[in-house]
Amino acid sequence: MTANTNPALFTCRDVRVSVAGKEIVKGVDLEINAGEKHALMGPNGSGKSTLAAALMGHPAYEVSGEIRLRGEELSALEPDERARKGVFLGFQYPVAVPGVTVASFLRAALSARQGREVPVREFRLKMQESFDALDVPKDFAGRYLNDGFSGGEKKRLEIMQMLMLEPAVALLDETDSGLDIDALKVVSAGVNKASGPDTGILLVTHYQRILDHVQPDAVHVFMDGRIVRSGGPELARELEERGYDWLADATSTAATGG
Amino acid sequence: MADRATVDTPSATSTRPQLDAAAVTEFSRDRGESASLATWRARAATVLARTELPDRVRHLWRYTDPGKLLPGKLLAATTDSGAADVAIPDTPAVVLVPGQPPRLNAAAESCGLVIETMHGGGDVTEGLGRAVPGEHGYFEAMNAAAFDAGLVVRAPRNLDLAEPLRVVIPAIDGADVLPRLLVIAETSARLTVVEDHVGGDSGSVVIGVTEILVGANAEVRHVLVQRWENGVRGHLTQRAVLERDARFLGATTGLGGAMVKVDLGAVLAGPGARSELVGVTLPEHRQHLDHHTVHQHTSGRTWSNIDFKAAVTDRARSAYTGLIRIEKDAPGSEAFQENRNLLLSERARADTIPELEILTDDVSCSHGATAAPVDPEQLFYLASRGLPAAEALQLVVRGFVESTLCLMPADLREEIETLLESRLRRIGGAA
Repeated sequence: MTANTNPALFTCRDVRVSVAGKEIVKGVDLEINAGEKHALMGPNGSGKSTLAAALMGHPAYEVSGEIRLRGEELSALEPDERARKGVFLGFQYPVAVPGVTVASFLRAALSARQGREVPVREFRLKMQESFDALDVPKDFAGRYLNDGFSGGEKKRLEIMQMLMLEPAVALLDETDSGLDIDALKVVSAGVNKASGPDTGILLVTHYQRILDHVQPDAVHVFMDGRIVRSGGPELARELEERGYDWLADATSTAATGG
Repeated sequence: MADRATVDTPSATSTRPQLDAAAVTEFSRDRGESASLATWRARAATVLARTELPDRVRHLWRYTDPGKLLPGKLLAATTDSGAADVAIPDTPAVVLVPGQPPRLNAAAESCGLVIETMHGGGDVTEGLGRAVPGEHGYFEAMNAAAFDAGLVVRAPRNLDLAEPLRVVIPAIDGADVLPRLLVIAETSARLTVVEDHVGGDSGSVVIGVTEILVGANAEVRHVLVQRWENGVRGHLTQRAVLERDARFLGATTGLGGAMVKVDLGAVLAGPGARSELVGVTLPEHRQHLDHHTVHQHTSGRTWSNIDFKAAVTDRARSAYTGLIRIEKDAPGSEAFQENRNLLLSERARADTIPELEILTDDVSCSHGATAAPVDPEQLFYLASRGLPAAEALQLVVRGFVESTLCLMPADLREEIETLLESRLRRIGGAA
């Protein structure tokens, strides 16, 4: 692992998120260095997904605090600008865009990320490479984006996009949910492949099981809009054994977890 | 824009252009038309004289004021100035301009179709008015009495036309045109006609009628391209009549003009007939584009489908009314109709009324209509992959019209997409 003397790859300082006037995320501090994989774990309804979408710049959310990528403040940027700078959000529920093929979408996304019109031949090769890496059937390319895809297919496509777009930091929101064990292995392999000395990953998850396949450097427990505890991989195992309630009891401000 | 206070009252009759039977007969004689056509026109003039402007209370005209589509002076003997500039492809094509013989290119001369003017002295009344009689309505009666650019296209029995015939109909700057097409596909003939409406300015009015007679086992594809310049007003009526086992595909792109009403349809008059009407319209700025579709099943064992999409931006407006009518003597008919509308701005408006009139049992019908803004979650998803807002919006709209484009003639798909593309590229821009 490389030493990091520069500013951390991705940092959050006192990030607060309100949706329709209600505060959901209540002050988050987070620091992800290049080469690190972090797990953000918490019960349903704790605000994990809201945090992930807010970091990407969801237009419906009011966000305060600092969000920095390599020291650069992102808060004022539109989601597409953040994406072109290297932030990636893997969606818990990827959105269908009927009539738009996976291939045409991916080419537009890759061209946007690279800031140039990626030639068709070069794009085809890169897409095929990413398909192969994730055992994605060839017919994916001609299908309409997430339209009629099964849950597992959608998640594979998310990971595939991450591999193609080569983000600096990937925020993966419940990418492991709704997957059978084979799909989980494929998706985990994709996450490990995307991980590298220059990349940071934040795995947002409800369950410990993906952490059997992806070794995190840090684990954060997220409850009622806050990180209530941070630790190493052992914290994930403790959550697996004891659930979240003991942490709820230990933190007086936390609401009851689900 | 329309004066809201007058929306439900008939337009003032004083603005109706005057036309009497004697003037019509004289116009016809001046052109050297056949006596039978002169008689036919004179009869239409009497129909026009007793026909009121369309009633706004009826669904068909609820959204558009017919008074705003009226031409100025009828029988003005317009001759064109700018139509010579129209680009002609190498494939069969004909340019239709009032006061001039139709200009056929070499490919049109030799393609096997019989193409003739209605103003040449030959008896062209056979089949004329069968699909769109003067009694169809006010604008149709006006066209029948006073059309000034008439063309008959006949596909002889068993002809299989390899390339589409393009009929270019230029609107004329500051003037009116009343074009009339009669397309006859004889038994087992196959052809594609592209009716291409181009040109014009804010002083142009076009009142067009297209009749298509599809004989037994024949197949006609009719592609209506409406790409007038800004400001043109117009009313276009198209009807096909399908005999036994005939097939019809009507494909429409509604792009140009300021205020336009297009009335499209087919009558399924023989068992085994199949008709499909597909359309895409993309009104922008302050355009008012109104489309009506009709599938009338007069024979049993017939099938029809309608798929019409509108994506509306700026302060533009789309109106769509669709009617499926299954007559009493048409058991075993199947008819489907779908209209979807995408609203791309706060002030864009799309109205839709799908209607069913079913007078028999033993039919299978469905219809549906939706109008909704673009899903913001779709835009966020695309943005999260780096696509700027305008590009994301364009992608969503392309996807929206894709399933309808798929139903259009494959060999013309590239041309249709190119037409739409220049329009799509303006979406999400500095509107």
